[in-house]
Amino acid sequence: MSKPPPAEAARARALLSATARSGRARLARPILLGLASIACGIAQAWLIATVLATLLGHGTAGWAELAGAASLALLSIALGVAQEAAQADAGAAARAGLRRRAFARLLRAGPADERPVGERATLVVDRIEALDGYFSRWLPAAALAVAGPLLIAIAVAAEDPLSGLILFVAGAMVPVGMAVTGIGAALASRQQFDALQALSGRFLDRMRGLPQLVLFRRQEAEAEALAAAADELRRRTMRVLRVAFLSGLVLEVIFAAVLGCLAWRHGNLLVGGHPAPQAALFCLLMVPGFFAPLRAFSAAYHERMAANGAAAALAPLLEGPDEEEGLQLAEIPPSVVVTFEHVALTYDPARGPALTDLTFRVLPGEALVLAGPSGSGKSSVLRLLMGFHAPDGGRIALNGRDATTLRPAELRRLSAYVGQKAHLFRASIRENILLARPDATPAEVEAAARAAHVAEFAAALPQGLDTLVGEGGFGLSGGQAQRVAIARAFLRNAPLVLLDEPTAHLDPGTEAQVLDSLRRLCAGRTAIIATHSPALRARFSRVLELEQGRATLSRMAGE
Amino acid sequence: MRQALIQTDLIRVLGLWRARRGWLLGGAAMAVLAALAGVALLALAGRGVSEGLRSGALTGAAVGSLLLLRPLMALRPGARYLERLVTHSATFRALADTRIWFFRRLAERLPAGLGLRGAGDLLGRLVSDVEALDGLYLRALVPGAAAIAVVLAVSVLLGAAGPALAAIVALPLALALLLPPLLAPGAARAAARVAKARGGLRAAAVDPLLGLEDTLAANAEPRAAARLEEAGRALAETQDRLSRRSAWGGASGGLLAQAALLGALGYGLAGGPGAVGATIIGLFLALAAGEVLAALPRAGTALAAAGASARRLFDAADTPAPVAEPASPAEAPRGHALRAEGVRFAWAPDRAPVFEDLSFELPEGGRLALLGPSGAGKSTLASLLLKLAAPQEGRLTLGGVDLAALPADAVRARIACLTQDARLFDDSIAANLRLAAPEADDAALWRALERAGVADVVRALPEGLGTRCGEGGARFSGGQGRRLALARALLAPADILILDEPGAGLDPSAERAFLETLESATEGRSVILIAHRLLGVERPTRILRLVGGRALPAMG
Repeated sequence: MSKPPPAEAARARALLSATARSGRARLARPILLGLASIACGIAQAWLIATVLATLLGHGTAGWAELAGAASLALLSIALGVAQEAAQADAGAAARAGLRRRAFARLLRAGPADERPVGERATLVVDRIEALDGYFSRWLPAAALAVAGPLLIAIAVAAEDPLSGLILFVAGAMVPVGMAVTGIGAALASRQQFDALQALSGRFLDRMRGLPQLVLFRRQEAEAEALAAAADELRRRTMRVLRVAFLSGLVLEVIFAAVLGCLAWRHGNLLVGGHPAPQAALFCLLMVPGFFAPLRAFSAAYHERMAANGAAAALAPLLEGPDEEEGLQLAEIPPSVVVTFEHVALTYDPARGPALTDLTFRVLPGEALVLAGPSGSGKSSVLRLLMGFHAPDGGRIALNGRDATTLRPAELRRLSAYVGQKAHLFRASIRENILLARPDATPAEVEAAARAAHVAEFAAALPQGLDTLVGEGGFGLSGGQAQRVAIARAFLRNAPLVLLDEPTAHLDPGTEAQVLDSLRRLCAGRTAIIATHSPALRARFSRVLELEQGRATLSRMAGE
Repeated sequence: MRQALIQTDLIRVLGLWRARRGWLLGGAAMAVLAALAGVALLALAGRGVSEGLRSGALTGAAVGSLLLLRPLMALRPGARYLERLVTHSATFRALADTRIWFFRRLAERLPAGLGLRGAGDLLGRLVSDVEALDGLYLRALVPGAAAIAVVLAVSVLLGAAGPALAAIVALPLALALLLPPLLAPGAARAAARVAKARGGLRAAAVDPLLGLEDTLAANAEPRAAARLEEAGRALAETQDRLSRRSAWGGASGGLLAQAALLGALGYGLAGGPGAVGATIIGLFLALAAGEVLAALPRAGTALAAAGASARRLFDAADTPAPVAEPASPAEAPRGHALRAEGVRFAWAPDRAPVFEDLSFELPEGGRLALLGPSGAGKSTLASLLLKLAAPQEGRLTLGGVDLAALPADAVRARIACLTQDARLFDDSIAANLRLAAPEADDAALWRALERAGVADVVRALPEGLGTRCGEGGARFSGGQGRRLALARALLAPADILILDEPGAGLDPSAERAFLETLESATEGRSVILIAHRLLGVERPTRILRLVGGRALPAMG
């Protein structure tokens, strides 16, 4: 992955901050718990300093203070555990919200989004998971890196103003030092991150194509090339890291300097007899605590880098309003008249129009067969009626009303659809049929299964209609899967039936059986069927021949 | 996962890194130095001020301690800086070795790719598993070495002052050292549950997207979204358990460090004035050691994660090779006539055989068209001929020699294949083509592009042959990518060419145009054309139709 260009990076940042804003309340909890834990640490250090001062002959503290320090230690640790739980919770909530939105967008985009399924699934799963560190670790660490040291510096200043000042100055120097050394350690570490991504991208690319390399006997050459690339990248990355790690060096130098300054400050006070021995010890004891949030911050820095990449991939998907536009249907009409008037559709200007000036009308009880070579626009007609795309010109009317004013999901409520290859979801056959109308009764499902000849083959399966199919389930043949899809269409009982090459992948014997079911499905409804199959054409009377998106011939049976 | 198993896997990973021993040990040594310097820094500062306070003047031990601070102030940051540089350099080297080892191993064991080994992006997972092994070194071994050194140093220093104090301070710290190995198995189990739940989430996302048209057609979006949400909740629950585990691990580490600190103080309170000097050292040593040990409980999680990654890598890497290399290879035959005699083959013992009794012959220079519906095993035949699989019965011969007696490399030198999933690499067009013939000059590349009917497309590109193809050939349309892959196959200097659905993804006129020139494009080599139908322009010398695991002669 290369470095995202500035506009993309800005969108990524906008997405992250918008998500953080909407989850503000949850994100504040770990920060408050973290501050409480730091406050406990301060109180505990104060008690330890008192006890230690007593040991050194200044004061009268004893076991009671030690017990107090022990209880504060326990409390601080408990608060730390609670902070981690709150962080995990905030991260999970942020991810759940983003996942819901991203998935809804993918479903809404429908088949118009032509990226491979794996890639789209990666967006909803891996990309969003990669954002976890940003919300659960980076944001709290960033807030605590400012608030924690500030709190400690104030506490120290209350005991000894000069020591407090030393800490203030040190705290202020950390970001300044980091900025100067790296001209952004950020920049350097981003480069490092990108370079590593590029290397693993190349590795993955070659691994995916491994069979090609093996077949052309280039695996050994490629292994050496990969090693050389890794070596070269390591050299370059190490050059970057030499600079990037300077920011860590700055932190260490400041740490050592603070410790040294405080030791000399209180050492020098001794010359005249230290005025506040307990304060001196307290200041020293607070030094590790002062730097702990800063260390946590620099450890969490890579989370931000990782999140930026993931957010850049997600941002385009999540742009625009969440609500879909369009009207909703009051009720489903019992019958539908489909009218196309001069309809035009172009997916991609480079590929030319998919449909040009297409006009036809289908009445209830009629079945229109769309015929023509592949690429002639048959499927496009169905896609328009499914709301997967909107026409670029002309008008599609359903019962006289413009179809494009409806929300695509509402448009689909009017129709039952059977595609080329039915997808069987990982569930029982019964549930797969039920998908079409979840509120159907068992008797209705069984009737649909009989009508589509599903019942016949299901009877031979181990658990009948309750046999698990889909991924990891019982394998059904293409013809059987297609019959399940037809059963869905029967159960749906919609006024419009849309069939896209329903028999394309079936052998002639299976096709004949399926055809019979299809004919009954279309009876009494408005049906549009895209097909190559002569057998299917022969069963229906009206045929519209398409070529390159135009209607070339329309005929009735027997013409 | 059992602890013994994690250990074996991680020791095996260290074995892979043996060659980088010097760098790895150097990094750990730097970490030890930096940690000791840090402990000394805090302990000396504390001791200096405390001794000063005790005696009320800046003399003796106080001055000595504070003077020693100066070199340490420089040593500690320097050592930390070097530690980070050396450990990172060592990690890059070690991971590069692992990557190459794994690549070679898969080329040998899984030459046909991962295929259908589980849904989801297993390959992507494995690649990130290699990267995740850095946690073993950077987050477990290096902090572990530093912590052990610190605990040892604390024990020795305090042991000199008083054995009782040494026991009070060093014992809890030493116990903290045991946390990573103690926590790792539990963390591994929790991480395995997370991985499983993540698989569930992926399935919930993939299933409706695979059947997207059916999902939308059924208005099932809300149900798909609810299922995804449920899977997301299940995942969050397992992650919550894992992070809780890690939080409690951190808490127990913190508790032990606090026990050491407060123990030292209690020792001082109980011991009276005589114990004060030792108490001060003990207290500040405990404070400094606590900082080093704080990273340790997380090392348990890092161990578990590295263990899980190593397990997945070794699982894939230890797959038995599909076809064993012959123990005493036969000499490569002169001729290249192909013959199948009674071949029986099934992908797995429990699956229906693809071929029952397959026999055919392809003389030198012959053009065989192999037809059949999808799933009839046409591509399986290519796998057998390329030694990506071996027949269970019968034999295949090349120039009269049994393929089983020939090394895979020798066979693949004679038989080139355009597979259905022929992939283009994210490299230049020229580099992609030269995979087939590394020595080919530009003129040869253009000839191959011309024959595949894609020369005009390449010529129109501003960077010509130097144009990058993008990941998986994303720069080009499906048809263009297919023709580039075809050009690559045509370029291969092999005697036999297998073209598996060369027309897939091409528009009908382009497909026809290529098949019409098939005879001249393949220059008299033997050709096996795999297709589910013929267009009638191919002019094969033989046509076979695969039916029920047998090859039946067919009419064009």
